[in-house]
Amino acid sequence: MKRLSLFTKCLIIFVGCWVFLRFIVGNVISVPIPGSVVAMYMGLIIIAILVHISVEDSRFREFLRPIHETLIDDNKRLRRRVIAVLIPFALLAYTYSIFAQRANPPGNPRDAHPSPPLELTYKDEVIGKMQEVENPFRHYEKDDPEAFKAHVENGRRVYYQNCFYCHGDDLDGQGHFAPHLQPLPANFQDPGIIPNFQESFLFWRISKGGPGLPAAGTPWDSAMPVWEDMLTKDEIWDVILFLSDYTGYQPRTFGEGH
Amino acid sequence: MIRRYQNTIFLTLLLALASVFSVADAQNAPEASEEGKRVYEKSCAHCHGTEGRGDGSAAENLLPRPRDFTRGLYKIRSTETGQVPTDQDLFDIITEGMPGTSMPGWDTSLSANERWEVVAYIKTFYDGFKENTAPRQIDLSGKIAYAEQSIETGKALYTELGCVECHGNVGRGDGTSAPTLTDEWGFQTWPANLAQGWTFRGGSETEDIFKRFIGGIAGSPMPAFEGDSFLHFGLTSEESKRLTELENKDEMTEAEDEESAAFYEKMDAAVDIALRITEGETLNAADRQSFNNAMKVVYEKSWHLANYVKSLSPEKRPEPAIGNNALRSQYIGGELPTLGDAAWETLKASYFPLVGQVILEPRQFNPTIDSVNVKSFYNDNEVAFLFTWDDRTHTTASEDEETGKMLEDAVAIQFPVKVPQGPTAPKPYFLWGGRLPVYLWYWKASAPEQVTELTAKGISNAEVQAVQSDLQAEGTYTDGQYNLWVKRALKTDDKKDLQLEPEVFVPIAFSAWDGANGDVEAKRVISSWYTFVLEPVPSSRRFIYPPLVALLSVGALFGLRGFARRRNS
Repeated sequence: MKRLSLFTKCLIIFVGCWVFLRFIVGNVISVPIPGSVVAMYMGLIIIAILVHISVEDSRFREFLRPIHETLIDDNKRLRRRVIAVLIPFALLAYTYSIFAQRANPPGNPRDAHPSPPLELTYKDEVIGKMQEVENPFRHYEKDDPEAFKAHVENGRRVYYQNCFYCHGDDLDGQGHFAPHLQPLPANFQDPGIIPNFQESFLFWRISKGGPGLPAAGTPWDSAMPVWEDMLTKDEIWDVILFLSDYTGYQPRTFGEGH
Repeated sequence: MIRRYQNTIFLTLLLALASVFSVADAQNAPEASEEGKRVYEKSCAHCHGTEGRGDGSAAENLLPRPRDFTRGLYKIRSTETGQVPTDQDLFDIITEGMPGTSMPGWDTSLSANERWEVVAYIKTFYDGFKENTAPRQIDLSGKIAYAEQSIETGKALYTELGCVECHGNVGRGDGTSAPTLTDEWGFQTWPANLAQGWTFRGGSETEDIFKRFIGGIAGSPMPAFEGDSFLHFGLTSEESKRLTELENKDEMTEAEDEESAAFYEKMDAAVDIALRITEGETLNAADRQSFNNAMKVVYEKSWHLANYVKSLSPEKRPEPAIGNNALRSQYIGGELPTLGDAAWETLKASYFPLVGQVILEPRQFNPTIDSVNVKSFYNDNEVAFLFTWDDRTHTTASEDEETGKMLEDAVAIQFPVKVPQGPTAPKPYFLWGGRLPVYLWYWKASAPEQVTELTAKGISNAEVQAVQSDLQAEGTYTDGQYNLWVKRALKTDDKKDLQLEPEVFVPIAFSAWDGANGDVEAKRVISSWYTFVLEPVPSSRRFIYPPLVALLSVGALFGLRGFARRRNS
């Protein structure tokens, strides 16, 4: 087998790296890399190749030789013609695709968990400081398991009469109304939701709903109702107990490190 | 290395295979156990009730209602009329859920074992399962392939068999009986919209549809194709065709009279045999044969009909108008097409799914309008839209018995008054605005040629604009479908109106009311914000720069060659 020329090797490395970054990583390992990052990596690879071929004069000449031959050797005429057609055509197609590209609608950047206000309120009544208020029925879990169970059951009723249309039978955010909503309803089975928030935060999100979000949370898009208009304070606390009881996730408590 | 572990590897593989097959083979549920009760009470009872009566706490806001298991009436079965479902049927429904209802698929949240335990537990609610342990299954072996000819045959049968009465002329569930239907429990129920296969409870494959015909949809008004109630039962297809021909004649000759009488005799005989079977009588060979022949015709016709029904829906639910599917109004020079113009057929509609409004009272938990499809053209001065949505009933003004309010079909198309500049800029609240106002086009079925401009700052804070722009509109209702055409100037003098410019992405949202479903005021179906754009005419530079770049590259290649040659010599 004929040894590959240095030029061919470099070409193979370059194309190989590009195919790997652009297609293999995205489709096989399914962590797509943004185009700009791919371009950056490819730039580094070009620099590496340039460094490699320019370390010695002889190596640089070896690298240029096939290009030189293709340009002037009489027996490379066919290759020359093919390249003379291919390169302009590729450029034609590429520039055309840039000019013909359609604009895409703007994205919806949004902070899914924006900072809460300092005070927790229900309608206009101040309940206390966001960082201090606890679920008034949480203590039953230790003190009176029967009463706790009754509160969880009431939370279950509240959930299935009000919430499950969007947040789902299994609390996985896949209720029968969910596919039509943007942003999607919260998935309480996601370990990143309930364990990350204190019960006062959950109370705030439920009672004030979409319209109560700060601007970073794009309050104009969220379909979450303002539940304080429809549920009592106790019902909201109960449904929070139910959320953690059903999923098995405990909300964050105070005093844990940030 | 591999040799050393060969036996272990082999054994592991064998065990793995065995475990796969033990699940796949388990056609029958285990004995009912505490485990089944536990899973049922955690995951099912809130809708289906602790006692299985379909009366869980969520039930009253659901339509169709959750199934009442105590009567053994199951809609989706692979078994014949009057039979209980197989264990596999129950398992499949729990696994896949029922599209178009609130029953989700439990394949990701319950293990296969847990689902089988639930099957066993559900069966304890109805004694019929103990008496009938081997229900008769529908024979699917005679399947007729999905093809043009069969679809045509099915289409004729669709009318002959009376499907039209409930499902309507072209299947949108808008038949004359549609608004009057109730299920076994007295709750209102709507006939399926056959053009929306993604809402078919038991799946939209030909086999699925065929099984609904033969086995019926228990508890619903959908009749099963039982032999004795089937049109021309006992006749062959040719005889049936001939009889229809004879019946359609104004006057029959004596010979034709006799011919049709003979057909009726044959049909009576077949019905008689069918009745004897239901009474449990054992048939002699000749009767058995003639019954089988008659049933064969019923099955064949059902396959044709199933193929026709399948042909009414797209392969799958269309993709919502997000991202690349955003609504793009197409530029045309000259006059914009009017309603019914063939030009609309050249565009692909953008699909906007709608959802019940459950944010503010009064809420709509059981929407009947699935979506609105939109197409649009614009020219230098105007924009025209075509909005299309399915509604089973044409309601122009009917008084609600409970509230005394006037119910009416209507639609509202919503835009912001000012287009937000940039993706992070605030938009009005998607539900008819809030702090920021929205600009609305409101149309109702009783005034099909009028669109009213509204400004709203909230669902209960909408007012008719004092200055109405020159909006042209035309709405029609045919075969369970509304088509609304609206045309407006791109620019108006009214500061409360949205001003349109090409290339700018504009938020758009919808509200729709189905009067027959009790929709009025806040009770309606809605969408969240989507976007639409007046698609710019593609830049003519695309014909200039690319060839220029190509030419330059040819020049550069030649230059390079010349340079190399000079260096060489």
